[in-house]
Amino acid sequence: MEFRPILSAMLRNKTGVFLVGLQIALTLAVVANAAFIIMQRVEKIHRPPGIDSDNLIVVQSYGFGSAYDHRAAVREDLDTLRAMPGVVAATSINALPMSNGGRQSNYGVVPDPDKAQTNANTYDVDEAGVAALGVKLAAGRAFTQQEVQYNPVATNSDFVPSVIITRDVEREMFGDEPGLGKTIYDGLGQSAVVVGVIENMLGAWVSFDKPSHVMLLPRVANGPTVRYAVRAEPGRRDALIAEIEKKLSESNLHRAITWVRPHTYYVERSYRADSRMVAFLGVIVALMVSVTALGIVGLASFHVNQRTKQIGTRRAVGARRIDIIRYFMVENWLLTTAGVTAGSLLAFAFGFWLSAEYSLPRLQPAYVVAGVVALWILGQLAVFVPARRAAAIPPAIATRTV
Amino acid sequence: MFSYHLRLALKSLRRTPVVAALMIGAIALGVGVCITTLTVYRLMSGNPIEHRNDVLYSVTLDSWDPAQPWDDRRPELPPSELTYTDAKALLESGIPVRQVAMRKAAVVVEGDPATRAKPLLVEARTTTKDFFAMFDVPFRYGAGWDRTADDGAQHVVVLSDETNEKIFGGEDSVGRTVRLNDSEYKVVGVLKQWAPTPKFYDLNNGAFNEVEDIFIPFSIGIAEQLQLSGNSNCWGNQASNSFEDFLNSNCVWIQYWVELADRGQADAYQGFIDNYVREQKQLGRFQRPLNNHLRHPDEWLKLNRVVENDNRVLVGLSFMFLAVCLLNMIGLLLAKFLGAAPLIGLRRALGATRGTIFRQHLVEVGVIGVGGGLLGIGLAALGLLGVRDLYENYDQLTRIDLSMGLTALGIAIASGVLAGLYPTWRVCRVQPATYLKTQ
Repeated sequence: MEFRPILSAMLRNKTGVFLVGLQIALTLAVVANAAFIIMQRVEKIHRPPGIDSDNLIVVQSYGFGSAYDHRAAVREDLDTLRAMPGVVAATSINALPMSNGGRQSNYGVVPDPDKAQTNANTYDVDEAGVAALGVKLAAGRAFTQQEVQYNPVATNSDFVPSVIITRDVEREMFGDEPGLGKTIYDGLGQSAVVVGVIENMLGAWVSFDKPSHVMLLPRVANGPTVRYAVRAEPGRRDALIAEIEKKLSESNLHRAITWVRPHTYYVERSYRADSRMVAFLGVIVALMVSVTALGIVGLASFHVNQRTKQIGTRRAVGARRIDIIRYFMVENWLLTTAGVTAGSLLAFAFGFWLSAEYSLPRLQPAYVVAGVVALWILGQLAVFVPARRAAAIPPAIATRTV
Repeated sequence: MFSYHLRLALKSLRRTPVVAALMIGAIALGVGVCITTLTVYRLMSGNPIEHRNDVLYSVTLDSWDPAQPWDDRRPELPPSELTYTDAKALLESGIPVRQVAMRKAAVVVEGDPATRAKPLLVEARTTTKDFFAMFDVPFRYGAGWDRTADDGAQHVVVLSDETNEKIFGGEDSVGRTVRLNDSEYKVVGVLKQWAPTPKFYDLNNGAFNEVEDIFIPFSIGIAEQLQLSGNSNCWGNQASNSFEDFLNSNCVWIQYWVELADRGQADAYQGFIDNYVREQKQLGRFQRPLNNHLRHPDEWLKLNRVVENDNRVLVGLSFMFLAVCLLNMIGLLLAKFLGAAPLIGLRRALGATRGTIFRQHLVEVGVIGVGGGLLGIGLAALGLLGVRDLYENYDQLTRIDLSMGLTALGIAIASGVLAGLYPTWRVCRVQPATYLKTQ
């Protein structure tokens, strides 16, 4: 293919070519970085939560007045919940996983407060906790009824006889050794034995840098606000929500059932900032690509109009339609290549700036490569329409005008 | 002359309807996207108490762990809240014009037994009396409470507009009673609709959360040991076995603000808190270096990073998108204007000055800018409607007001004219002779 004549023809419209080239460069810089951010957020949102979130119902009860007996109310509520058909298991719990609200504390492997370095998000659950949350035990067992503690003073600093930890906590505390059966200590030097290790469970804060540092404690969550995690049989969740609301609201007048919700409500809320970013960026990427494609079509159309006579002449002296089409395709390819070369540099510079300024992860080169390929294809597709129009110019045009 | 230019511009645009539509569309899209992200950004970065910014200060004392700073990533910062011990001590100072210690609590509003209405769990702000005057809170009925109510933990309550609507159907409920957590409270005031965005006075518990449903004296929360529903942070290891222990602990959970009339008062107050901390140091508390701050609301909002980074990135990307749209428009304009070069050559030969040609084309790009801007505002309104579901409690954030509309139009016209300058300049340099020869 003869590049030189194509190049010199392009240089006759320097400004137009430069504008579209710059457009392509900017588009690559934005699209590569946006796609990179989108992929990260999508991965984050689709992380396995470790709990059976889809079948989980969460309930909040708030007791008030002197006649409210927290311990008795919790026992009664759990009896009611567990007796309902369609309920797999139910536990009281102090806070909701993945809800952006919870409690965390430091723990260590020796009874020295200064060496309590492992930060864990803790949940008070009872003997049904493991079954109700639907977490998978990798080793050990769930809590027994005898282990479950209760101290009516909400601000007490008691510890518990046993704990269940996630793999991530096990790894941080014990390295490669199994944690099962080992003793851990809280900040006051009180000890607990690890009776179970669960595969995975995301804690309260989805954007926390150690989201799966979670520890379950056998304890009845203190009142007067208490939550219940109720695991439903698959497909029964929504029907159960209404039933639970009705049954619990009627059962005890010394408390209010604040809400009964699917756990996914909180998952969706917690990831909302990320879904929002995905949505916004997705729209910007789509619009940007369309506008750039239109720019390419516009430039090529302008060139076709400008070169009607030349094209007619070329056709008259023997060029085939395919030659004309190929001419525009090659011209576009040259233009896109120039654009993406500048764009790659711009993309990396932009990515670097984003990671430095907003502490986002550094742009992976694969996204730039994918962007380059996509823009090449986009350019060829966009130029095809005007190119076909150019190829349709009859050779007679050349003879008609001077 | 202007109307003549305008007529010519419209004529010229009608001659190439597709190109005109593309150009207006490009500007509209660019402006629409920018205004959508800017609207959210501006409301996030706003300061709802700007008119009192100079006299209000958040108070922070560095009571944190000597072994490690409050925030590992920003070790210079003291905790954003105070301990109960310190809040109580600061309240004794007579220096500030007004001052407020506050926190959040959960409270049940009991239904009327006659109607068997369901009890309602509400968010309460337990606060000292100055809250309303300090933060310029608007009242529909009644007013806040006085010093005696604070001192005596009297059962008085101020309802939000919404809560008053729910409980009393929106009537003037001042003087009536509500049952909160098993006891009677007298309504002393009802707020007007009030939604400071961001919720500057308590950034610890969601900077974009709604204002609390009811307000009760801070002292009630202590006397009745109301469950804390906001954020609380403790350090070190201390056994706690009662509410009393919690009050005396090093846990920080109280937001503290003061109003100081002038520089002199601010200096005096800074001296007061520094002295207080020095005294406490002698008692073995406050082992970190002296690090107490009074910060105005604007500084406080910035320090607490209310604007999400994501939002800044989006605004940046939107403007890059606008740039692409403008590049596109420049290309189209150039092609369009130069396509009409023979006509320009003719007009120039017939005596039109360069200035006339320049002005006429500028009017044309102005028309494109206005068209694109108006369409862009429409698109932004649609865009904000579309993203509304993505925000919670964000009605405040997704609203276009007059100033945002004007900004949109401004951006559109400015970018339209800016984009039009080069093609206009190019077309003015057309040499009449070149085109006359070929006719």
